[in-house]
Amino acid sequence: MNKRRLLKALSYTVPIVILLIVPLYIKQPYVLHVLIMMGVNIVLASSLRFIATSGQFSLGHAGMVSIGAYTSALLVMRLGLSFWGALPLAGLAAMGIAFLAGYPFVRLKGIYFTMVTLFFTEVIKLTGEEWRGLTGGVAGIIAIPRPNAIIVPGLLNLGFTSKADFYYLALTLVVVTLVLLYAIESSRIGMTFLSIKQSEPLSESVGVNTSRFRVLAFSIGCFFAGLDGAFYSHYLSAVAPASFGFLLSIYVFIYMVVGGMQKFSGPIVGAILLTLVPELSRGAKEYEPFTFAGILLLVIFFLRGGVVSLPERLSKIIKKEVWLRLKSAG
Amino acid sequence: MTKNFGGLAAVTELDFNVSEGEMVGLIGPNGAGKTTVFNLITGFLRPTRGKVLFKGKDVTNRKTHFITKTGIVRTFQATTLFSDFSVLKNIIAACYLKSRVNFWEALLHTPGSHKKEETVLARAFKIMHFVGLDAFKDQSARSLPHGHRRILGIAISMAADPQLLLLDEPLSGMNAEEVDRAVALIRKVWERGTTVLLIEHNMRAAMNLCQRIIVLEMGRKIAEGTPEEVKTNKRVIQAYLGTGKHAA
Repeated sequence: MNKRRLLKALSYTVPIVILLIVPLYIKQPYVLHVLIMMGVNIVLASSLRFIATSGQFSLGHAGMVSIGAYTSALLVMRLGLSFWGALPLAGLAAMGIAFLAGYPFVRLKGIYFTMVTLFFTEVIKLTGEEWRGLTGGVAGIIAIPRPNAIIVPGLLNLGFTSKADFYYLALTLVVVTLVLLYAIESSRIGMTFLSIKQSEPLSESVGVNTSRFRVLAFSIGCFFAGLDGAFYSHYLSAVAPASFGFLLSIYVFIYMVVGGMQKFSGPIVGAILLTLVPELSRGAKEYEPFTFAGILLLVIFFLRGGVVSLPERLSKIIKKEVWLRLKSAG
Repeated sequence: MTKNFGGLAAVTELDFNVSEGEMVGLIGPNGAGKTTVFNLITGFLRPTRGKVLFKGKDVTNRKTHFITKTGIVRTFQATTLFSDFSVLKNIIAACYLKSRVNFWEALLHTPGSHKKEETVLARAFKIMHFVGLDAFKDQSARSLPHGHRRILGIAISMAADPQLLLLDEPLSGMNAEEVDRAVALIRKVWERGTTVLLIEHNMRAAMNLCQRIIVLEMGRKIAEGTPEEVKTNKRVIQAYLGTGKHAA
């Protein structure tokens, strides 16, 4: 029993330790950049799946990232807030808007909910383009300051002048997000989300205020999208509406589905794999949506459970094969 | 109480009451509006006119989850379950009202929430035992045979702790043996002190179970009384068998 516990503890700590020492060995900024983008996408895909556990497919994530990105950039540049204060506020801003929009949104079910979240993303994008006084219009905001340095003498020295420092920040963001999402999902609240997904009328019948829970799932998911947006804007030091169109929402959705929606690990794996796609096909940037769509279709047709269901599928096939061989051998 | 769908009158000026401790049957030919009545009582539909009173309180136009909290719980005609969950988990999920903890308690697994989870688990086991589904504890609801699925539906509604239980055709699609078991279960639930309002097409079972029967036709109440009275009521016989004129 104790051994098992030890193994379990190791299975969490070993990858984290490896991830912590990565920048000591990998110095190429490009590789670190790709790893950081993986982190950004993991947070988005996982929080999108979190919303989906209550039976709702949102395409509002790009809008929420945008709200987080602009909120944080403006708070820091206009009001002189520290990045560390602006970061949670950016998450809360996205969450607050998700909460307010959520009540009318959740009156719609299934595909209608999804459509209205898609329009939401477009409305936020248009707002960014047109509200020039606040957002800088199509050009967006540039020269967003980097996060304030964290210096603990002898222990920590993060000045955010190097990619490695941003890498650590992204890693922290990913770990915090995943731990919180996992904790909620495995709690009573997560179970109620799942029961709503399976049957809203029955959940309502046993006393669940389904609207409230659907808004809760939506708001929490959007909180993390907002955090992610804040990180993203300070990392790239620029934001523009064009980066937060509905294509981003669709991509995040594809990360989730390709990785596998049934498992917590699905969107993590999906985000890691698919972040590599644009990097591997740099020369064919304009064909990127085709590549993503193709991968999505392949997964939907041939691997319903996503990439994370592959080991299970393979072991089933192998078992069947072995059984057939044994049978034919007598 | 009246319910119109557009110009169509689904339920017209229906008025009836169920007293505490009673078992009342609601019968009528297909399309008579029986399920609509359930939907109106439990807040899935809003009446065009009229009121639903429960224990003297007006619950008309309230949301379903609120009505459940006041003590009216329904089952569904089509077997509606949490299909991906196991039998036990279905009942645990249905114990929602008994296991409510606030967000932070649930998230942090405080001792308080832990204790609550334990009492809920014990309660779920009790209900599972009461309906006789122990043997299927870990089986997913989807894979259960039809009769057991319907029983699980009743178990789920019991978990919500009803004072008034609305059963929508609990016996439909069951074989004779399953019907006997389900009838015994419904009687057992009623004997525990739960008031029951029952929609049923199986006449023998309905007559057998209920003290009082209400007959609907085309959204109107055409008869009400003891099973004996209803059985011999002319209009009821007409509704079910036709007037004879057309049949000839």
